[in-house]
This record gives sequence, structure tokens and C-alpha cells, in this order.
Amino acid sequence: MADAVICTEAFGSFFNDTILPLTGLGAIVTGVLIGLAFMVGRAIANAKLTTWAKTELLQVIISIATIFFLLTMVNAFCIINMGEVASFFEAVEDPHDLSLYDAAQTYLHEAALYSHNAMTVVRYHLEAYTILAYLNAFLCDFNVGGVGLGCWFGYSGENVQPVGGYGAINAALNIFFNSSIIAHLSALNFLFILLFVYKGFVFLFLPMGIFLRSMPYLRRFGALLIAVALSFLIVYPLMLSIFYLMGDVLVDRPGGGQCLACASPCADCYVPEDGLKEYLDETVFPDLENTGVIQSMGSVLLESISFGTQDTDALIREMYFPDGADTGGAIMFAAYAFIAAVFLPTTALLATIASISYIARLYGEEINLSRITQLV
Amino acid sequence: MKKLLIFLLLIPLAFAASWQTIAFVSMVLSAALLGIMFMLGFGFGVKELEIMAKEEFFQLLAVAILIVVLTGTDSILNSISSLDAVKAGSSSMQDAALTIVDDNRERVDTLLGYIAGYDKAISREASRTSQCNIVGMGYTVSGCGGYSVLAAPLSMAGGITGFAMGELSAMERLIELSDAYALNLLLPLGILLRTFKITRGGGGFLIALGISLHIMLPAGIIFNEMLVETFHTSGDPRAADYSETGGDVEIPECDPGDTGEDNENSAVTAYTRMRESIRDHLSVILFRATLGPVLALLLMTASIRTLTSLAGAEVDVSAISRFV
Repeated sequence: MADAVICTEAFGSFFNDTILPLTGLGAIVTGVLIGLAFMVGRAIANAKLTTWAKTELLQVIISIATIFFLLTMVNAFCIINMGEVASFFEAVEDPHDLSLYDAAQTYLHEAALYSHNAMTVVRYHLEAYTILAYLNAFLCDFNVGGVGLGCWFGYSGENVQPVGGYGAINAALNIFFNSSIIAHLSALNFLFILLFVYKGFVFLFLPMGIFLRSMPYLRRFGALLIAVALSFLIVYPLMLSIFYLMGDVLVDRPGGGQCLACASPCADCYVPEDGLKEYLDETVFPDLENTGVIQSMGSVLLESISFGTQDTDALIREMYFPDGADTGGAIMFAAYAFIAAVFLPTTALLATIASISYIARLYGEEINLSRITQLV
Repeated sequence: MKKLLIFLLLIPLAFAASWQTIAFVSMVLSAALLGIMFMLGFGFGVKELEIMAKEEFFQLLAVAILIVVLTGTDSILNSISSLDAVKAGSSSMQDAALTIVDDNRERVDTLLGYIAGYDKAISREASRTSQCNIVGMGYTVSGCGGYSVLAAPLSMAGGITGFAMGELSAMERLIELSDAYALNLLLPLGILLRTFKITRGGGGFLIALGISLHIMLPAGIIFNEMLVETFHTSGDPRAADYSETGGDVEIPECDPGDTGEDNENSAVTAYTRMRESIRDHLSVILFRATLGPVLALLLMTASIRTLTSLAGAEVDVSAISRFV
């Protein structure tokens, strides 16, 4: 069951062996209770009870019809090819052959990867500026050709942090480091909700929904359970799959697609490191793994032994950003990640919650979910 | 799925170019499905099915009216947006808004560069200490401490400027999405989904999202730009204080061995020059880069809420407003 995800054969057996019998049992138990109530009503000539039984029988039929409708929709969503859907719209480029459910999951994978990339880029910039800001230099007096004569017989000179002024940049980057962490966690959160749905737990609401909808005082709760199942199995993946079609712009999808699930090396997938080369160079400390941080720092300092008198920007370019620092680019990346991983998935969840209210209203029960919405 | 659509004589959808065409074809598809539903109801004598088809047809008519209004509004707003007074050379609202956002981001980036430059220069001066030590005896003088007081405001200025830049970047991404997909993907899919009762909420939301992204988001940015431009060209003497023309300034050097007043005066001079330079850019940071995106986002969320309500399933997007 752990590996069974919607649209797979394993999931089919889970559904047939667990959900369908439970749903049938729920319907039968409800039917028996209604039948008993009807018989008792007839036996004691209580018109109220017999009317209730007739009404509830209709509700059970509606509930069962809903479940058949839901199954049809789920099967349709497993079959619909988003590549074909995309081909109808000129605006959508390079679609992939995925089912609607897979497309929704892929979008959240991509959003998580995209926000992780943004986090990496911002972290790299923060790391670079923080390390540089803490460097100290002692510039000996009476400098002759790069050699300070003031230190020959003592310790005469000037102590300075030559590249210490990155408080403003670090403040800006810190905001976006936090923002990209939130974006990444948010994408994972939405992905886990989707996986919760795909693993089939939502289906367990169905037998309970059928039973509870026909019980006195519990119709509202039963309607809520069925509405939750319908909304999370139809509306939530549908919204996310539509965002998947917008991936070219939304997550800067390269031609091959970004695949987290793909085993490395992945022929058709985007390698995150390649996409980040324009922002960072993680080989700044090439011997870091072998010799440790202190030695690596030492080698860098030796390379820039005259950094005390060197121009700050030039130093950064040499040490961390061979192609020039792109702080603005890092901030933009984090902002884009926020839109892809927080803003749009949140709208999908809000639409799903609104849909729960709407569907519950279709079943004749008004449910106020405004408090839940506030939690989003 | 594709075969089904071809069966429904929707071949032109595959070659549809403009959003109006896609929307029209989506409505034809919806009408065809409703027609089938009505025929089934009529054929099998199911009154409920007939009534439902009729009710849904009225909903379709409401969407048709919405599309007509949208087409008219879009044309009018595009005409306004391409006026020289708003943004010369723009072909549409999205184009105008994107140009405005790009211009503003460039301004903010320049200011961030200035602030980073001041920070580098000031921190370097603030860190300087002079030492002399011979045979275990000597002194250390920290004559540049006065500069270190400037680090906190500079850090705050950097944070605010960076945040403004992030806001503008997020707006840019939303406008790009609007330009590429609002009417070409979201609207037709919304119309299609809205036809079915069970997906009415989702469909209505997509319609609202498409229209709000297409109209309200760029409109908010353009209106804010008009507001700022009006202020700058109003002749109000206060506008000169926020001229947006401030450039880089020189930070005076400090002598770490000097314990007199010269270093303090240099720090005050650095502060005054920096303050004047940053004040020149307040208009960019506060109005163009902060108020503009906030206004646009609030207009968009308010519009989504209203339109989803009109579409029959209100989506409470107040959670999105809290991102502001």
C-alpha cells in the first residue's frame, strides 16, 4: 500500500480490496437501518418515520451515484493526457505526456525544485558576502612595493575590514533567504497534501460519508466528507495540472523538464546545477572536502594576498563570482519562486476549499469554512 | 479526449489563435454538451435533467455577457494604456505594465547598488584602527568609530530596497503569466469547467483569475504610475525633494589615528550626503515599488473575490491579500 498511488495497478487493488467493500458495507448498513426504520414506522403507523426512511433512501441513492460519478472522474483524470490538452492552446509550449494527476504532482515537484534552486542561489550569495564581510587585514605602515616596513621591527600599521560592508546587501538577501525557505516548505506542504489524496486516504471518507449523511443530525458532516473527497480528488489536482501547463513561464521549465523522481543520471531531465551556473560557482573552495574549511580559506587568502589594497568588487569577482555578482538576479529568483511555490498553489487550495462549500451546498447543506480559509 | 472534441466538431480549437476564438469555441463546446444533456432529458422524460440543462444554459449566457464586457473593457483599457501620457510605444496594458515594472526595477537596482556602495565604503572606514607596537609596548587608536553608527540605517535601507525589488520581480512574473496565459488558457478552461456543476467553483475561479490577472493587475500598476507621474509633474515644490535623480555620493575618508573632531565631521558629512541621495529615491521605493504592487495585488484579489461571487462560488482570497 505504501507505494500505491492513484492511477497505478497497486492502487487499483487497494481500491477494490479496501475502499469498495467498505463503501458497499456503508451503503448496506445504511440501507438496513433505513429499512428497519421504515418497517418500524409501518408497524407503529408512524408516518413521520416512514417519510424519513423514504427521504433517506433517496439520499443514499444520491450518495452512491456521487461515488460512481467520482470514480468516473478519477478514471477520466487518469486517462486525460495533458500533452493533448496543451496542444489545444497555442500559449502552452513543450507539453509532456502525463495524466492529469501526474501533471499536478509534477508541477509541485517542479515548484519544490525551483524554490530549492532559489534558496541555493540566495544562500550562496549570503555565504559569499558573510565570509567576505568578516575578513580582516593588517596593513603595515611605510608600504614599499607591497611590503610594509612598519612591521619589520614591531607592529605598526592599520587594522581594517577591507570588504566588510555588506550589511545592506545581507539584510536584503536575508529577507529572500527566509522567503525562499518558506516557498520550498510551502511547495512540499502542498505536495504532501496531494500525496495524501493520491494515496487514497480521502477515499476512506466516502463510506463514512454515505453512512453519516443518512443519520439524524449528521447529514451536514456526511455531506462535508463527500464534498472533501470530491474537491480534493477533482478540483485540487485540476487546478495544479493547469498550473503545470503554465510551467514554461512559472518555473522557467527547460526543454527536458525537471524531474525529482527520476534516477540520476536522468536523460530527459533538467540538472539543477546546470541551471544555476549563471548565479554561482560552488567550486570556489575546490579543496574544501579534502582539507577542511580553514585550509581552504587559507588557499583563497593566499591567492588574494594583497586584498587589503584591492578593490572590493574585483575581489568578489575573483573569489566568488567569476562572471560578476548578481544580487539582483538572486532576489528576482526568490521572488519568482514565491509566486510558483506559494502564491499559485495557495490559490489552488483556496479554490478547493471554496469548492467544498459549494459542493456541500449542492447536497443541501450550508457549511461555513471561512475559518479554515483563514488558516491557509 | 482529442477524438471526442473532434467528434464535437471542434477542430478549429486546435488552431485557435486569439483568446476570443478559444473562448467562443469553449462556449460552443459547453452549449453542445448542454444540448446533449437536454436531449437526453427530453428523450427519456427526465424533467430534472431538462431543468438542469436550462439552468446551466442561463449560466452560459451570463458568461457570454461577461466575455462581451471583457472584450469591450480590454479594448478600452488597451487604448488608454497605449496613450503617450501613460506609456508611449506600448501595444497593450500588459506591455505597458511590464515596461513600467522593468523601469522601476532598474531604478531600484541602481539604488541598491548605491546603498551597497555606501555600505562598503562606510564599513571599511568604520573598521579602521591604527596600531603601533614595538617590543611589547604600543597603542591602538580607533578614531573612525563614528562611522559605525551608519551601519544600522544602511542595513535597514538595504532590506527595504531589496524587498521592493522582490515585489517588483513578483509583479513582473505575474504580468508575464497574465500575458501568456490569462486569456489563452485560464479563461477558456474556466468557461469549459464552469459548465459542469461539480467544477463550477473551479471554473468560476479560473475565469476570475484570468480576468483579474489580465485587467486588474496591470491596471493597478498603470494607475499607480499615473499617480506618481502626476505628482512629479504637478509643480508642487515638495516634489523636488523626491526628484529620483540622486546619484552616487563620495564618502569622505577617515584617518584612524586622528582622535580629534575631523573624523566625526567626516562621518556627519557622509551621513548627510547619503541621506540626501537616498531621499531622492524615496518616491521610487515607496510609491513605484511598494504602493504600486500592493495596489495591483489588492485590486486583483478584490476582483477575484467579486468575480467568483458573480460566477456562483465565492472564493475567499483574503489569504492572498495577507501576502501583501
